[in-house]
Amino acid sequence: MSFFDVLSPSFLLFPALLGSAILAFVCPLVGAHLMLRRRIFLGLTLPQIAACGVAFTFWLSHGAGVSHGTGGERLLAMVGSLVFTLVGMGLLAYLDRHATGSPESRLAAAYAFASALTILFVVFNPAGELEILNLLKGEVISLSKEELKLLAIVYGAVYFGLVLFRREFLLNSFDRDLSFLLTGGSVQWSFWLYVLCGFSIAIGVIMAGPLLVFGFMVLPPLAARSLARGMSSFLSLSSLIGLFIAIFGFYLSVRLDLPLGPTDVAFGCAVIFMVYAIQLIVRKSRGLAGLLAALLIVGFGCSAQKAPAPLDLQALGQNTVWLAPVRNSTGTDLRLPGTNPLRSLGEIAGKIAPDYRPTVMDLLRGSVKRELEQRRIAVSFPEERDARLQSFPFEAGSAATNARAANLSGWLLLSDIRRWNTDGRAPLSTRVEMRLVRIDNGAISWDKQFQKVVPIVGAARLDEASADAVKEILREMFGS
Amino acid sequence: MGSTPPLVSLHRANLGYGDAAVLENVDLELHAGDLIAIAGPNGSGKTTLFRTILGFLPILNGTLTRHCALSEFGYVPQSTALDSTFPITAREVVEMGGYGRLKPYQGLPSDERNRLESVLQQVGLSHLARRLFFSLSGGQRQRMLIARALMVGPKILILDEPLAGCDPESQKAISDLLIDLSQQEGKAVFFSSHDLRMVRSVAKKILRADGGRVSWEEGVVAGHPW
Repeated sequence: MSFFDVLSPSFLLFPALLGSAILAFVCPLVGAHLMLRRRIFLGLTLPQIAACGVAFTFWLSHGAGVSHGTGGERLLAMVGSLVFTLVGMGLLAYLDRHATGSPESRLAAAYAFASALTILFVVFNPAGELEILNLLKGEVISLSKEELKLLAIVYGAVYFGLVLFRREFLLNSFDRDLSFLLTGGSVQWSFWLYVLCGFSIAIGVIMAGPLLVFGFMVLPPLAARSLARGMSSFLSLSSLIGLFIAIFGFYLSVRLDLPLGPTDVAFGCAVIFMVYAIQLIVRKSRGLAGLLAALLIVGFGCSAQKAPAPLDLQALGQNTVWLAPVRNSTGTDLRLPGTNPLRSLGEIAGKIAPDYRPTVMDLLRGSVKRELEQRRIAVSFPEERDARLQSFPFEAGSAATNARAANLSGWLLLSDIRRWNTDGRAPLSTRVEMRLVRIDNGAISWDKQFQKVVPIVGAARLDEASADAVKEILREMFGS
Repeated sequence: MGSTPPLVSLHRANLGYGDAAVLENVDLELHAGDLIAIAGPNGSGKTTLFRTILGFLPILNGTLTRHCALSEFGYVPQSTALDSTFPITAREVVEMGGYGRLKPYQGLPSDERNRLESVLQQVGLSHLARRLFFSLSGGQRQRMLIARALMVGPKILILDEPLAGCDPESQKAISDLLIDLSQQEGKAVFFSSHDLRMVRSVAKKILRADGGRVSWEEGVVAGHPW
């Protein structure tokens, strides 16, 4: 999958990319203001308080009988996130005015308290665990169109507010005394700035998780700080660097099959190091900086690998392809629902016992067999030749040795399902690795990893989504 | 004192924080064209007096009368009181003085741009406008902050230790500027310093703050010691 495929509006996860781009464009502006006020730890503590609000609401709604994964529960969680954030912010502001001690220590204590409460609420409510874990990982991948719309509206309003009152917020952050003299009061501008922060954090956390929100608040302004030549360029650069991190972080996440939140944050940190390194080199030598920039561009170009070639059917010749039973490395049984037509067909043919439930592995291997047969390739299942061959190691040499021991010859196709999961709401996410091995010498003649994400929305059930994913894999496998 | 009403007057005023008075029985009038300094050691209440006049602190006792709006005060804080992490240019700092006249959505109109250029020329630092504010020397920063206060279009200038941390050349430039603003433009200038010798060479009138009280000491604009 190329970089431009990921950016294409037709890409399945485009809404998620759009969501993280919106977050990445607006959060740095909020973070820049907090940074200028030396209140950046608010950006860490408030998302955690918001996450605590989400966990609390899940727990409460579970107790009230709201079923897991419904829109009502999501809406309640959003309210919980917002209420906890605004109350937490008010409480911290009150303590700032009336309590003794340093604000940093209060923020640290609030962070620890909110983290502990989040875990306790999750423990109280096992049904909410998956949702909260996704939240903490930063899974914007499952953003629905309605949520994207809400995110765009709230963040659009926050952005509009920050840009419209840029001068007032800036003056209030830089010199509160002058702000008091010129605008008649500095408290009102602090209040409105914190309200905008509160809304962006509360909504951002429910959509993308605290890690991503905090990461986008801190990292882009930090990188922009050393490049900026004035406040206007500082704020604009913060947003642009945020956007850069979001787009390339998203690409890396899809490409390397990593969770989005940690990937974006790690990439953001790498960007900061890169900025400081380039600055250091610029100070030493302008020529070296040019060389480094060229190397980075070339390196990035090289990293955008071409997709591996499809299976070369000509190379198979007249030899039989033995389809090894598909390995399941996911840790779950991957059984398909009981009304799957495969089962009915199998039962009619008398090949399947009534209590047998087909799996994704059966679906995948059966589909590959059918495709190869249609292309006039001789195909067989090893266990039909020798009942002992119920499984093969994925390591080519060992698999070929086992095949030779059972007097098989020709090709052995090994498949391993590394991931095949969905929480019922997010798209079905899959990763499958296949390799074609020469049985006589154990050499790998073709090796490919398939990553497919299939929406659940269009498919009524998991088996239909699985069938869609298999079709996608076959299309890539045979290049058609 | 002049025949016109004073721009600011304090009568038997107690100033301080909470219930604790830092200065007691302060009597003071500021008129257009005044050049007054307040001198005293650290902690003697100079900044408390300024903050009360500017409305940042409430008066504890006595009366405080202002015959001009708060937006007509030009305030110059010590540049060390500002956060040096801001990547802000000198021009952006000076521009802030005009924010009170602009609507939120409004760009900087041409008359404000002209005023900006004019105040930068007045402090003699037009050529440094695009530099980062915190990359300037202490004296240059102080002059930029005076330019920002002039950008407000003030009737009164209040300067907190404007000469602290400046090299002799900057001290001379700043004190010349203060004398000009008072004598040529008729602005009331009220500044603080803990250096009594320097204060005597600049100010027409000197207030001495010590031991919780203020008292007047007459001075004249004499030859500068630099």
